Amino acid sequence: MAFWTLLITIVIVILGYRYYTNRVDQQIVAADPKRATPAKMYNDGVDFMPASGSVLFGYQFKSIAALGPIVGPITAVQWGWLPAVLWLIVGVFFIGWVQDYASAMMAMRNDGMTMGGLAYKYISPRARGILLSFLYFYLLLIMGAFGAVVAGLLAAPTVPIGFLILTLAGVLAGQMTYRWRMDLVMTTVVTVLIALVGIWLGTMPWAQSIVKAINGMAGNAEGVLYSTPYGPMKWSVWFWGIIALVFTYFGSVLPIWRFAQPVNYVSFWFVMLGIVGSILGVIIATFTGATGVSFEIPAYIAFNNHLGPLWPILFVTISCGAISGWHSLVSTSGTARQLEKETDAKPVTAGAMYTEAVLAVLAVVFAATAIAKADGSVLYDAANGYKLSVGAGGIWIYGMARFLSVVGIPADLGGAIGGIFLAVMALTVMQLVLRFMRVASAELLGDKIIAFKNPHVGSLVAIAFTLLILWTAFWQRIWVLFGGANQLFAGLALLLVTIWLANEGKKYEWVFWPGVFMYVTTVAALLITAWKSFSAAFAPDTAAAFMVGNLIAGLIGLFLAIAALILAWDGWKSLSTARSKMAAAPSGD
Amino acid sequence: MTEEEKRSLIQKIKENLSDFIYGMASHEATRQALKTRGSMEHLFILITMGDLLGVPILPPYYSLRLLPYVVPQISTWKRRMLREKDLVDALA
Repeated sequence: MAFWTLLITIVIVILGYRYYTNRVDQQIVAADPKRATPAKMYNDGVDFMPASGSVLFGYQFKSIAALGPIVGPITAVQWGWLPAVLWLIVGVFFIGWVQDYASAMMAMRNDGMTMGGLAYKYISPRARGILLSFLYFYLLLIMGAFGAVVAGLLAAPTVPIGFLILTLAGVLAGQMTYRWRMDLVMTTVVTVLIALVGIWLGTMPWAQSIVKAINGMAGNAEGVLYSTPYGPMKWSVWFWGIIALVFTYFGSVLPIWRFAQPVNYVSFWFVMLGIVGSILGVIIATFTGATGVSFEIPAYIAFNNHLGPLWPILFVTISCGAISGWHSLVSTSGTARQLEKETDAKPVTAGAMYTEAVLAVLAVVFAATAIAKADGSVLYDAANGYKLSVGAGGIWIYGMARFLSVVGIPADLGGAIGGIFLAVMALTVMQLVLRFMRVASAELLGDKIIAFKNPHVGSLVAIAFTLLILWTAFWQRIWVLFGGANQLFAGLALLLVTIWLANEGKKYEWVFWPGVFMYVTTVAALLITAWKSFSAAFAPDTAAAFMVGNLIAGLIGLFLAIAALILAWDGWKSLSTARSKMAAAPSGD
Repeated sequence: MTEEEKRSLIQKIKENLSDFIYGMASHEATRQALKTRGSMEHLFILITMGDLLGVPILPPYYSLRLLPYVVPQISTWKRRMLREKDLVDALA
C-alpha cells in the first residue's frame, strides 16, 4: 500500500505539472523567456544575481522543505491516512504550486519587490504594517513549534551525541575550507566521515546512558515535571529545548561561514542519504516484504479528535507539502531575484513544491505503516482513537530506522540519521528566523529602546519568547497555530496575486478561489484553536505554566485572526478597484 | 540517438545534478558570503567616497587617490543604495 500511495502521488504530480501548470504558465501568465528579469536588470552581484534553473531548484527545495512536510502529515494521520493524503494531493495540485509560482512571477514583474512592498503597493500602507507584525508572530510560532519538535528529537537517546559531533565536524569544515583553504572534496570526505563515525558512536550503549541520565534529572524515572490534559510535560523538553536554542543563537550571531553554513553543508549529505535511502527502502520492502508496508492506521478514523474537527484543523495541521505561506516569502525575496528567465519560474517553484508534496506523502507512509514499535511500545494509541503517543520526531525516527534497515543500514544508526536529518532541517530554518527576528526588533523598536540595536539583545529576547512557548504550551496546539498562521500567510499571498492579476487584466479565478478557501479555512482554524486554548487555560485545576502557555496560544491565535480579517477587508477594496478598472478597460487590448 | 547525442545527454544530466546538489548544499551560503562582501565594500566606498553623498569623511586628497580603485563599484553601489528596501529583505 505504501508503494502504491507513493506511486499514485508521483503520477498525479507529473500530470499536474505537465498539464495544469503548463497551461497557466503559457496561456494565462504568459511567461516570456525574452523579457528581462530583475536578476538581469538590477544585477548587483549580491541580492539580484542570475543563477541557473537547476541551482535555483535545489535552493528553492532546500529553503521550503523543513519540518512542515514531515511533522504536519505525521500529526494529521490522527484523522486517518486518507484525508491526509487527499489534502496533500488536492492541495498541491490546485493551491500549493499556484501560490509558489504566482508569487515568484508577481515579484519578478514588480522589479523583485518583497511581500512587504507588494502589500504596500497593491493593498494599502496599513496592510504592510499589519503584515510585518503578523510576520513576527508567525515566525515566533515557527520557533516554538520547530523548537518543540527538535527538543523531542534531541531527547531520543541515540541522537544528541551524534548531533554534537556532527556540529563539531561542521565547524571543522568551515575552518578547513575558509581558513586553511583546503580542497572541498577532501574537506567533504573528512568531515562527513567524522560526522558518520560520531552518529554511530551516539548509538553506543554508553552514549545512550549519558542521554538517559540527563533526561532523568527531573528526579523521577520518566523526567516528568507536571501533568497536563494532553500528557506529561517532561524535563527533557526544557533541557534539550535550551540546547537547540543555543545552537540557533550561534547560527544567528556568528559569521555565517564559521557556523551555520558549514554545519548545514555537512548535514546536507545525511539529509540526502535519508531521503534516497528511505524511498529505496519502501520500494524494496514492497517487493521483498523486508518490513511492513501495509497501512496499520485506518483510512479514516473520525471527523473530530482532540485537536478539533477535520475541517478546518487538518487543513492547517498539514501546511508544507500542500501549501505554505513560507514559500511565498522564499519565492519573492529569494528566488524571484535570481531567476535568469521567466520560463525558469515554473520548473523552479512549481517543481520544488510538487517534490515537497512527495516528501510529505513519504512522511504519511512512515506514520501509517507502524502504530507500535517492534518492542511493543505504542506510537499511535489504537484504544484511544489512534492518538499520537510520542512526539512526531519519534515516529519519523522509527520510520527511517525501519526503511533504512531494508537497504542495509543498522536500525539504531538509521534512526539516529533520521533524528539528525529532522533536527538539522528544523534548525536551519530556526537560525534564519532568529536572524530575521533580531533584525525586525532592531528596525521596529531600536529607535525607542536602544538596546534592541544590539544583535545579542534582539536574539536573546526572541529566544526568551520561544522558551516561554516551548516550556508552557502543548506542542500539537502550537503546531496547529503555526500551521494556521502559515496558511493564512498563503491566503494573503494569493490575495496579493489576485489583485496583481486583476490590475494586469489577466484571469485571476485560478488564484482567487484557492485564496478564499485558504482564508476561510485558516481564520476558522485559528478561532477554534484560540477558543480551545482559552478553555484549557481556564479549566479547573490547571497547572500555572500550562495556563500561561494556553493563554499565549489563545492570544496569538486571536491576534492573527483579527489581523487577517483587516487585511482581507483592505484587500477586498483593492480588488474591487482593480476589477472596476478591468471592466472599464477596452476589450482586446 | 547517436553516440554524440547520448554523450551530450549524459553530460547535461550530470551538470544538472551537480547544479542541484550545489543549489541545495551551498548556494545560500554563497549568497550570504556575497552579501557580507557587498556590505563591507559599500562601507568602504562610503568612507572613501562619502563626498558623493555629501558626507565628507576622508580628506578629498585620499578620496582622489583611491578613486580609480572604486570606480568599477560605483554603479552597483548606487543601485544598492537607492533601491527601496523592506524588512522582509532580511529573510532572503
